[in-house]
Amino acid sequence: MVACCAEKTYAGTTIADVVLRAAVSRTTFYRLFDDKRECFDAAVAQCIGRIAATLTAAAADCDSPAEATRRGAAAMLDLLAAEPELALILSGDVVGLDPALVDRYSSFTVPALEAMWGREGAPSPKHLSPGLAFGRAQLLIFHEVAGGHPERLPALVPDIVYLAIAPFAGHDEALRQARLAGAEVAA
Amino acid sequence: MTDAAALPRGRHGLSREAVTRSQRARLLGAAARVTAARGYEATTVADILAAAGVGRETFYELFEDRRACVLAAHQELLDDLVWHVRVAYEGPGEWVERCRATLRALLEWFAADPALGRFLLVEPAAVGPEFHAIFQAGFDRFVAVLDAGLDHDLPDPHPLPATSLAVGAAISRVYAEVAGGRAARLPALLPQLTYETLVPFLGEAEAREAAFRCSEAAG
Repeated sequence: MVACCAEKTYAGTTIADVVLRAAVSRTTFYRLFDDKRECFDAAVAQCIGRIAATLTAAAADCDSPAEATRRGAAAMLDLLAAEPELALILSGDVVGLDPALVDRYSSFTVPALEAMWGREGAPSPKHLSPGLAFGRAQLLIFHEVAGGHPERLPALVPDIVYLAIAPFAGHDEALRQARLAGAEVAA
Repeated sequence: MTDAAALPRGRHGLSREAVTRSQRARLLGAAARVTAARGYEATTVADILAAAGVGRETFYELFEDRRACVLAAHQELLDDLVWHVRVAYEGPGEWVERCRATLRALLEWFAADPALGRFLLVEPAAVGPEFHAIFQAGFDRFVAVLDAGLDHDLPDPHPLPATSLAVGAAISRVYAEVAGGRAARLPALLPQLTYETLVPFLGEAEAREAAFRCSEAAG
């Protein structure tokens, strides 16, 4: 399903495409899912799970939320560069199909960031809502993969770090962290 | 964007090109309206013909199929928005003032016709794989417009691509409101959006000042 959507988008994908690609029978498909949408939702959940696991692993043993954000952004973009179909489905089809799905997966990132900064005693969001920053990050990532340039994703590390930190610590600190992250990636 | 009016019935002195132009414009307007109202999946060529008052034969002389017509309608609508944005951005005044005028034009464009705004932003995903390239090219057009009129005295926020961040800020804010059916309240978001788009260029203090000045101008 993920591969089909990356190639043809959700709208252009049929169940026939999915079973052919997965090399399973139509009967098996219908034993597992009621319809195309249910299969899509399960595929999205799986993609979200992969990204969440990557972020958690990258943030382990970090000393500060800023460092965790820098490492998390770099690890996530590496994953998406290697598997752009994840980004195509999560920032393309999901957004077009059902904004409620976007809420579902922004709801694992945003509270994680909030909790991290909350422990630091940072004031609650003062610049723009983290949810909106999430949408902007998604947009920049989609822009690269939709243009057929997943290999450029790692270059977005400073932008994503900036967007993830600005709601909590403000522009100046976010810019400082973005520069730091850019230097780390280059190194 | 105004919908093209039907031509007078009976004999008229219009050239063949003028007739074709009018028919094409009516088909594009109808394709945008009908798709905005029903969604791409449920829209048929017959619906578009009925709304445009144009015959099937003419339709197929101008467009290969429903998809081609809807994509052309989308392109034309995007051209219209880019034109409005560019005119505002190329207006008089300091850079910050021109940015504010640009954002105001953007928000008012979407608030003026929420259905067409929805067609522009939400519907392409339903058309199919063309959606990826359409999105990317549209985003790049706005980045190019903004870049072309940048004030070179601005502080350099290296390594951030401030222009992409600003365009991304505007698109995601407008998208959230349009997809949520709240396009009418977009103009009220001018101060917030001014802050969000300008902060990567100007830093916090100056962006806040710029946002504050829009509330003053409005109130």
